[in-house]
Amino acid sequence: MILSELGLAIWVSLKTSGLAALAASLLAVPAALFLAGREFRGKRLILLVNQTWMAAPTVVIGLFFYYLLGRRGLLGGLGLLYTQTAMVVGQVVLILPLILGFAYTALRQVDKRARLTALTLGATRRQAGRVVLREARFALLTAVLAGFARAISEVGIAMMLGGNIRSATRNITTSIALETAKGEFQNGVVMGLILLAITLGTNALVQAGLRTRDGE
Amino acid sequence: MSGGVYLLEGVRYAYPASSSPFALEVESLRLGRGQVLALVGPNGAGKSTLLMLLAFLIRQNRGRLAYRDEDPWADEQAMVSARREAVLVTHHPYLFKGTVGDNLAFGLKLRNVPEAERPRRVADALSLVELTGRERTPVQALSAGQAQRAALARAVVLRPRVLLLDEPTAAIDAGTGHRVEAVLRELSREHGTTVVFSTHDFSQATRLADDILYLTDGRRVEFSHENCFSGTAATDGTMSWIEPKPGLRIAFPGQRTGHVTCVIDPARISVRPGDGLGTDAGRNVFAGRITRLDLIDPGSALVRVGGELTFRALVPAAEVEAKGLSLARNVRLEFDPDSVQVSGPPALGKNND
Repeated sequence: MILSELGLAIWVSLKTSGLAALAASLLAVPAALFLAGREFRGKRLILLVNQTWMAAPTVVIGLFFYYLLGRRGLLGGLGLLYTQTAMVVGQVVLILPLILGFAYTALRQVDKRARLTALTLGATRRQAGRVVLREARFALLTAVLAGFARAISEVGIAMMLGGNIRSATRNITTSIALETAKGEFQNGVVMGLILLAITLGTNALVQAGLRTRDGE
Repeated sequence: MSGGVYLLEGVRYAYPASSSPFALEVESLRLGRGQVLALVGPNGAGKSTLLMLLAFLIRQNRGRLAYRDEDPWADEQAMVSARREAVLVTHHPYLFKGTVGDNLAFGLKLRNVPEAERPRRVADALSLVELTGRERTPVQALSAGQAQRAALARAVVLRPRVLLLDEPTAAIDAGTGHRVEAVLRELSREHGTTVVFSTHDFSQATRLADDILYLTDGRRVEFSHENCFSGTAATDGTMSWIEPKPGLRIAFPGQRTGHVTCVIDPARISVRPGDGLGTDAGRNVFAGRITRLDLIDPGSALVRVGGELTFRALVPAAEVEAKGLSLARNVRLEFDPDSVQVSGPPALGKNND
């Protein structure tokens, strides 16, 4: 495996997982803020479904989107199958419940007086919501990084929706699968170590965030 | 109500999903500029609820609450504007994560106070509560008393028209409490700030406030000094020698030491005809004569009883007739120790509240 290919696979991994973490956070954090701040009928069911969704196997999500985005699928006309966009979409669906669950827990743990205090000091409802998010910022960062780590280390969605196309959708995990299938265990191990280094770095950031939060 | 700050008429508030009736019922209340009002009453009397209403954090279910002749709930803009003028400091104030300076700057940013002006205002407010130079102190490094003062400074820095405080000196030592009182007095007198505060300390209420609103079970109780007595806690910890009537005692719950003030809830004083019956002060039984009897609403009457001590009791109207209570009638008053609200230093190691 030549170095440029290796670099490209790392870049594809970082790009697709980063975008997926960003998109999932933009959806999950406001949803978590809504759920954490209100009591309504059906909320427990939503949380139960979310928890179940967290355990969904990546290949099942991959399979679902494979049929959806495939030529004969409902969204086949978009031509997204075997593109980085399809990988991002699949990964968003994979990590959305994870970020939502973590963010919900983080926001529930924020002292209820934080929002009330912001309102008493003249904040609008939106500004008070931002205060709550700020009070939980380290725990929310943890949620986002956990989502990123999950996305970058999965292989089922990347393989089924990306197709492992060289210089296009091949990322670290699909490269490992390919190199191993070819009998190039050495290359697979190197890629595995790189992936481990990235996830280790992400987890270190998560731990640092937790330590900072606990220290406050 | 020209020049008035608040006007409440027939205000009722019930907490959502509460099976009990209204948590607060205020028939009439007017507050003007620079006025200091103390809210006194037992726990659960509705003091905090009234403060939340005055801070526009909850909306009355019935009645009218006008702020500076306007309806603060007219729209979102009016509500936020009103909230920016009437700032509440809660019982256990919450300080945002970060530094003391961050906390004080929060409200200033919301009000678009120029950045250049903020440090001076923050420093002035901190100096007022004797926290000079604490701008960069992380909030978790503050003691409970310092946190309480920082929360007060966070409200004061905004120069609000109205300052609402829920038991502002409950968690701080006497020295700091006096400093807080001085700040409130100064805000009211020098800056015309309207101050409303709740307290269990009746002597603080009389020291600071122009008016005292006594609440019990969410209702305003016609209060007068008749039901307020000061004295020294007795050695057995359950009685108080009443001045200027040595020999008379009032039993109250818990134990106190030193100088105490007792306020008796008028709604919990029972009045019975009692010709020839004497006082048994140790058991909160007092003899007297009805000197005034006013029907205050269709359901109840205020009965003023003079004797060795003067009391005012709130009696159901039906009882007035049934018991034959009338002017100049000799009566016997009785009240449970639990109906006595007492302020003063608690006995060491005892929980009096």
